[in-house]
Amino acid sequence: MMRNVGGVIVLSLLLVFVQLAAGESFSPPGTPKNIICRSPEKETFTCWWEPGSDGGLPTTYALYYRKENSDTVYECPDYKTAGKNSCFFNKNDTSIWVTYNITVVATNALGRAFSDPVEIDVVYIVMPNPPEEVTVTVIEDTNWPFLRVSWEPPEKADTRSGWITLIYELRIKLENEDEWEVHPAGQQKVFNIFSLRPDSTYHVQVRCKPDHGFWSEWSGTTFVKVPDYFPRERSMWILIAVFAAFIILTFTFIWLSYMKIHNLKHYVLPPVPGPKIKGFDKKALKNGKFEDIFSSLVVSDFPPTTSNYEDFIVENLEVFVPEEQELIMEDSKDLQDDSIKSENSTCDNDSGRGSCDSHTLLIDKGGGDKEEALQSDQEGSQDERVPTSPEEVMEEDLLACCDEKNSPDISEKVKFTPSLISPLPRYNLMNQPNPPEIGKKHCLSDSLLNPDSLPSYFTQPPSTKNDFRSNPWECNFNHKQHPLHPQTTGKEHLQVQNEISWVHVDRTEASLGVQAPSVRSTEYVEVQRVSGGNMVLLHPVSAGQENSGTMSHQTEHYSRVKTVNNDSGLLLLQKESTGEEMGICLSEEEVESRATSNGYTASITPTSEKPMVGINSTLPILDDRMASGYVDTATMFGLPTY
Amino acid sequence: LPGRLKISPLFVALVCLAFCSRLSRMKAASICTNSQTGCHFLSLANLFDRVIHHSARMHGISNDLHSEFELYFLPSKNRVSRNCHTSTILTPNGKENAQRIAREELTEVILKLLLAWRDPLWHFHQNMARHHKFNNLSSNKSLEMSEMVHELRKGVQKVAEKMQMLGIISNSLGTLGSREALLASDSPEWRLMNDYNLLYCFRRDSNKIQNYLKILKCRIVPEHGC
Repeated sequence: MMRNVGGVIVLSLLLVFVQLAAGESFSPPGTPKNIICRSPEKETFTCWWEPGSDGGLPTTYALYYRKENSDTVYECPDYKTAGKNSCFFNKNDTSIWVTYNITVVATNALGRAFSDPVEIDVVYIVMPNPPEEVTVTVIEDTNWPFLRVSWEPPEKADTRSGWITLIYELRIKLENEDEWEVHPAGQQKVFNIFSLRPDSTYHVQVRCKPDHGFWSEWSGTTFVKVPDYFPRERSMWILIAVFAAFIILTFTFIWLSYMKIHNLKHYVLPPVPGPKIKGFDKKALKNGKFEDIFSSLVVSDFPPTTSNYEDFIVENLEVFVPEEQELIMEDSKDLQDDSIKSENSTCDNDSGRGSCDSHTLLIDKGGGDKEEALQSDQEGSQDERVPTSPEEVMEEDLLACCDEKNSPDISEKVKFTPSLISPLPRYNLMNQPNPPEIGKKHCLSDSLLNPDSLPSYFTQPPSTKNDFRSNPWECNFNHKQHPLHPQTTGKEHLQVQNEISWVHVDRTEASLGVQAPSVRSTEYVEVQRVSGGNMVLLHPVSAGQENSGTMSHQTEHYSRVKTVNNDSGLLLLQKESTGEEMGICLSEEEVESRATSNGYTASITPTSEKPMVGINSTLPILDDRMASGYVDTATMFGLPTY
Repeated sequence: LPGRLKISPLFVALVCLAFCSRLSRMKAASICTNSQTGCHFLSLANLFDRVIHHSARMHGISNDLHSEFELYFLPSKNRVSRNCHTSTILTPNGKENAQRIAREELTEVILKLLLAWRDPLWHFHQNMARHHKFNNLSSNKSLEMSEMVHELRKGVQKVAEKMQMLGIISNSLGTLGSREALLASDSPEWRLMNDYNLLYCFRRDSNKIQNYLKILKCRIVPEHGC
C-alpha cells in the first residue's frame, strides 16, 4: 500500500520534472465561470459551467451544492446525462421553492479553483422545450382563404395538471423575406392568419414560455403554400371593366355633344348681353371718335338750364387757402334771397354736404378747423359789403364743402359770400362735357388747385387763420377742365351778387390736381381776356337772374396775378375796373400790404397786416396759361359789389 | 295624494322579501343556462379562474417589489440563512407531492399561507410608509399587496365553501386550518425578519399559492383551460 502510494508520488513527480524539463509551465486551474441552470419542466434541472484554463494539467470539475437552511454539502449526482461540464438533477434531487447554492470546483495537480456561488430557485429558471406538432392548414371555406396554425405544448411540460402554465407566440414570414411577423397567442393552441398573398409560400414557427421563466427556442419551421385564388379576382376585373366602359361612354357622349358647340354652349352658357346705351355707337367707339360718342351721351337737358334756381341752394363756403393754395370752388347755388340771409342750414337734397354742414361749421369759429361750416349765409350778407372789412368776412373756417374728411389738411380757406355767388342763370357748364353736379359737393375740383400753380385763391395765412376775417371775396371756380377758358365765354359765369364773394376752396392735402372735380361750379367767372402781364380778366357772368339788386356785377373784372409762390400758387388780385373793391386771394406769405395795382382790394385777412397779397414769383406756368387766356386755377372772384 | 302614499311597512317588507329571494335565486341562474349540476360546476370554474387571476396579480406585485428592493437596497450576500416564518407550514415541494396531497389539505395549505401573511404584510406596509423607504409607486404596491392577501383569502374561502357545498371536499376544512394558521401568524418570527427577507419569503409563498390553486382547479374542474 505504502509502496503504491509512494510509487504514484514518484511517478507524478517524475512527470512534473519531465514536463518541466520539456519547458512547459503548469499552473492551477482557472476558475469555472458562467454557471447556468435551466429546468425544462420544473421537475428537474441542469447546470452548465464554463471551465477556466486547465493550467496544462488534467483538471477535474466537481459541482457542490447546498440546500436552503441546511449546511450539508452535496455533490452533483449526475455529470453525464447532460453532457460535458454539466450536472443534471433528477426529480428526486430537485426541490421546488428551495434555494440551491451551487459551486463548481476545478481541480488539477497543482491546485483547486472555486467558482462563485450561484443561488437558484427552480421555479424561476424554467425554460421549456419548443412547442410540438405545429401544423398549418389552409382553410378555403370562404372566398378568401386563411391559415390555421395549431400546436401542442412540449411533452415534458405538464400543463394538464396545472403544474405549468404556458403562453405561446408564433411568427410567420414569406419565403423570400427576412422579416418575421410575430403574433402573441396567449394560452391558446390555435391561431388564424388572414390577408395572405395568393400563390406564395409561408414559414411558420412557434415558441412558448411559462408565466415566470424563459422563452423556449423557436420550433422547427413549418412550410405552407397558399393557393392562387384567381376566380375571385376575375369577377373584380369584370366589375372594373364594366365601370370603365361606363365612364368611357359617358365621356364619349359629352364629347359628341360638345361637337355641337353652339347648341350646347348656348344651352349651358347663355350669352351675356352686351351693354346697350341709347345713342351709344359701339362702332364709333372703335373708330376712336370720342367726341361724337360722348356728345351723344350728353343729355340735353342736363344740367338744367331753366331758371329753376329756387331749386338750387347756393351755399357759400369760406375757403381759406394757406400756402398750398388749393382752391376748390364750391358751386353752391344759392337762392338769391336766401343766400344772404337764410343760408342757415338750408339743407335740401340739392345741396351738397358741404352746404349742409357748412352752416354749422361756420359757426364754429375754431381756427384750423378744416371743415368749417359755411357761414357764408349768416355773415356774408350785407355786413360784408365792405370787402375790406375783414370782420365781416367769415373767416377762418374753411368751408370744406366737398369733403369734410379732407378737412384736416385743408389749410386754405376761402370764404364765399353767398351773395356773390348766385346761381348762375345759365349753366353753361352743362354744355361742357362735364356738367357740374349740382347739389353735390359744392366744391371745385381739386384739379383746379394745383399746388404748384395756384392761379389764385384765397389763402389765408395759417397764422392769421384764426382771426382771419376773410375777405368777402368770393371765388368761384369753374373747376372744370376749362374753367376759365376764354373761349368758353358764357360758360362760366360768376355771379357776383353781393359784395362779398366767396370762393370756396376745397383743398385736399395731397393731390390737388388729382381729384376730379366732382362738382361743377355753376357760377363762373368768365375770363375776358388774359393779358400777358399776368393779368387775368375775369368776367363774372351773370345772366339775368334774380339776384340781389345789390348785385352789381362788373362786366369786367380781372385779377392781376401779383405773385405766384412756389408752393402756394397764384395770387390773383382782383381788380375791378369800376373801382370796386376786389377780393383778393391771399397767399399767406404773400400778404403784403402792397398795393400794386390800383384798386385792388385788401386782403382777406382783415386783421392781418397784409392787406394785399403779394406774389413772390410768377409761375411760368401761369404765364403761359395766362397768355393763352386760360387759367386753370384762376380763381374768379367777383368783385364785391357795394 | 297623501292618501295613497300611506303604505303600510308590513306590506313593504313582504314585497322586499319576495323580491330579494327572487333576486338571490336569479343570481345563480343568471350565469348558467344548463342543468343544475352543470351550472354549479361552471360557476365553480368561474370562481377558480377569478382566484387564480387574483393570485397571479398578487404574485406579480410581490415580484416587482422584491426586484426593486434587491436593486436599491442590495442586501448582504449572506442571505442563505433565510428563515421564513411560514416554514412551519408544510407545503408540497414538488409536482408529485402536490398531486398526491388531498384536495382538502391543499385547500387548507392555501388558506394557512394566506392567513399567515395577513399581518406581516400590513406591518410591512406601515413600516414602508412611515419611513419613506419606498417611492410612491412602491408604497402603493405594498398597500395593494397587503389588501390582496386579505381579499384572496376571502375568495379562497368562498371557493372552499362552494366545494364543500358541492360535496367535492369534506367539511373538515375549517377547524384545522384556522388553528395552525393562527399559530403561524402569532409567532413573533415574522417580526424579526428584515424587509428584504420578508419580500423574498412572500414572493415565494405567493408563487406557491398560485400554483396550488391551479393544481386544485385542474383537479376539480379540468375541462376549462387545463
